[in-house]
Amino acid sequence: MILELKDYLDDMKRCARCSLCKWPPLAQMKSWRFSNNCPSIARYNFHTYSGGGRMALGLALAEGRLDTITDELLNIVYRCTACGACDSSCKYNAELEVLWPIYSTRAHLAGMGYFLPEHSMIIDSLRKEDNTLMKPKADRGKWAEGLGVKDLSKGEKAEVVYHAGCLYCYDPELSAIARDTVLLLKQAGVDVGIRGSQETCCGSTAFQLGFQGEFIKFAESNIDDWNAAGVARVVTSCACGFGIMKSVYPLLGRQMKFEVLHITQYLDELLKQGKLRFSRSFPARVTYHDPCNLGRKSETYVPWKGTEKKVLGQFILREPEKAVSRGWNGVYEPPRDIIRSVPGIQFVEMERIMEYSWCCGAGSGVKQTMNDLALWTASERIAEAKSVGGEAIVTACAWCEQNLKEAVRQTGGNLMVYDIVELVRQAL
Amino acid sequence: MQIVVCVKQVVDPEMPHSAFRVDPEQKRVVPPPGTPPVLSPFDQNALEAALQIRDRLGAKVIAVSMGSSLARPVLSRTLAAGADELILLEDPSFRDLDSFAAAGVLAAAVRKIGEVDMVFTGRQSSDWDSGITGCVLAEELGFPCITVASKVEIADGQVRVERVIADGFEVVEAPLPCVVTIDSALGELRQVTLQALSAARKKPLRLWKAADLDLPPLPPPRCELLDLFVPKRETNCEFMDGDTPGAAAARLAERLREEGLL
Ligand code: SF4
Ligand code: SF4
Repeated sequence: MILELKDYLDDMKRCARCSLCKWPPLAQMKSWRFSNNCPSIARYNFHTYSGGGRMALGLALAEGRLDTITDELLNIVYRCTACGACDSSCKYNAELEVLWPIYSTRAHLAGMGYFLPEHSMIIDSLRKEDNTLMKPKADRGKWAEGLGVKDLSKGEKAEVVYHAGCLYCYDPELSAIARDTVLLLKQAGVDVGIRGSQETCCGSTAFQLGFQGEFIKFAESNIDDWNAAGVARVVTSCACGFGIMKSVYPLLGRQMKFEVLHITQYLDELLKQGKLRFSRSFPARVTYHDPCNLGRKSETYVPWKGTEKKVLGQFILREPEKAVSRGWNGVYEPPRDIIRSVPGIQFVEMERIMEYSWCCGAGSGVKQTMNDLALWTASERIAEAKSVGGEAIVTACAWCEQNLKEAVRQTGGNLMVYDIVELVRQAL
Repeated sequence: MQIVVCVKQVVDPEMPHSAFRVDPEQKRVVPPPGTPPVLSPFDQNALEAALQIRDRLGAKVIAVSMGSSLARPVLSRTLAAGADELILLEDPSFRDLDSFAAAGVLAAAVRKIGEVDMVFTGRQSSDWDSGITGCVLAEELGFPCITVASKVEIADGQVRVERVIADGFEVVEAPLPCVVTIDSALGELRQVTLQALSAARKKPLRLWKAADLDLPPLPPPRCELLDLFVPKRETNCEFMDGDTPGAAAARLAERLREEGLL
C-alpha cells in the first residue's frame, strides 16, 4: 500500500515547528497582502491547521497518543485542500515530506472508519456510479452526443483517448468545454476517441480523502482499460486527473503503455506545430491561475526507502539519495505559452505562482463538504487577480473554474473566469 | 411498532484484491490503511426492509451494532439512511465474539429496549458468512425466525415473508414478534441525501457497555479458528495427445480418473 503513516514517522518527528510551511519562501514573497500560501492556516489561524500542525497530529496518531477521535479532530484533518503548498515551502528549507503525511493521516483514520459523513456519499457514488458527483453512470457519455467522436467502449480504435473527467462530463456549463476540446483536437487532425459511458473517475478525490482502497480500484482499472484499448496517449482536461495519473498511478507497479498529457500540453504542442492557428485577437488583461494538481502536485512521487545517517550533529545523509519533489517540474509553461501566443492579449502574472501558487480552494473534497472554505479561498485568489489589474483569470481545471466562478458570482465582481480551452476556441 | 435492525461493521468485502492481506499469526484479515470498514451488505438490506415497513405503516426503527471498537461514521450511516435511533453495544469484552455469544449480547439489548415487534438481521455477515446470529438471536428471545427473506409485509399482527429458495420463492407467515433475516433480493439500502445527513446529526446515538446490559455469562466459543490463510491457486495445464480425437478423449478420461476427479 502506498499511504502508510508509519513510513513518515521520521519526517513527522523532524518537523521543527518552524512554521515556514505557512508562507511562500521569503525570497518569493511580493507583498504582505498575498503572503499566505496555506488556505487552512490563513483562514483558521491555529497551528494545527498548517502543514506543520498536521505533521504533529499525524505523529500523535501514528504513535497511538490519540485515544479518542473526535468530530473536531476530523474537522481539522479535512479542513485542508491538500494543495501541497506547505510541502513546497517546507522543502525550500527542510526537505520534509509534508503532503504525503497529510494524505496518510487521512488514510489511517479512514482505515479506522473515521471520515466525514459527506465523504461516505462521495464514496458511495464512486462505488455505485463510478463518479464523485452522485450522477448516473449511464449518463457519463452524454456530453459527447452528436460530436461524431470515436467511442472506444464500443470497440473503435484511436491513437489518443480523451478523458474528460467527472466534472467536465456532468456539469452542463463545463461539458460544453469538453465538447470544444474534442472539436479542437479533431480540427488539428488528432485521431481521438473517448470512453463514453465506460469512462470512470480517476480516483483522485478518493485518494486525497484517504480512501486508498477505493482509489486503487479506479486507478488499476483505468490503467488496464487504456492498455487494453492500445492508445498511445491519454489526454485529460481535468487537472486533478492529470495530477493523480502522473504522480501516483506509476506507484501501483502496473505497466502504463501510454503517455499521460494534460490538455494544455497537447494544445501547446499543436499550436507550436502549426496544426492550430489563432486568427482572432482577445484584447484583455489576463492572468493565469496554476491548478495545484497541474503544477506542484503533478511530479511523479518517488517513495524513499533506505538508511539515514546524521553527520556533524545535524545534517542527514541518506543512502540511497532521496528524490525530492519540490514542485519545480509541474506543468507551468505550456498554459502560459498558449496564453501569451493569443493575439492582443496582455498577460500578467499574479504574486503567488507556479509551485508557490495559492490554491483555488476546491481540492480534496473541500468544495463538496466545506464550501465556505472553498469560496473564501477562491475569493482571496480573485482579490489577487484584481490586484494585478486582471480583467480575466484563466485556469485549466474544472474544479478551479467552477469554484472561482461561484466565488465571483457571490462577491458580485466583474472578473471573467475562463477555461484555457474557451480562450483558445475564441481566438481561433 | 418498534423494529430493531442488527447491523455489523465488517472489513470492506470490495477492497482491491491487491490490498488483501491475512496475518497468519493473529489469524485476522489485516484491513489495509485507507480502506474503511463498511456496514455488512446484507445488514444494509435488513435496514432497508425496516425502513420500507416504517414508510408504509409507521414504526420506530432502531439500529443496533455490537463490537469492541465501533466506527461512528460508518454506523451513523444507518441514521442518515433513515433509522430513528442508533445503539452501540461497545465493550472490550465484545471483541471477536462468535455468533452464539454475539446473539446473546444482541438479545440482551433487545430485551432492554423492550416492546420490540420485529428484529431484522442480514442473512449472514460478509466477513465470516456463518448465517447463525439471526437464528440464535430468535432462539434466545423465544421469537419465531424466518430466514433469507426477499419481501416482508405486515398485516393483522402477522408477518408475511417471501423467502428465497433455489427455484423461486416460498411464502411463510408468523405471528409478531419475530426475527427475520434478510436477503439482498429485498433491495439495496436507499441513497443518503445531504439533508438526511444533517438530520442524522440530531438523532439519538446511545452507547451501552456490557455493564449496562442484563447479560448472562457469555457462552464459551463453540468454534475454534485453527488457521486463516489465502488459498494458493495453482493452474497446471496438460495436453492430451492421441492419434484420433477419440484416443485423446480416452486418455483424458484416464487422467481424470487417476487424479480422482472422475
Ligand atoms: S512542516 Fe516543515 S516548514 Fe512546517 S513547521 Fe514543520 S519543518 Fe517547518
Ligand atoms: S495541503 Fe494546502 S491547505 Fe493543507 S495544510 Fe498544506 S498548504 Fe494548507
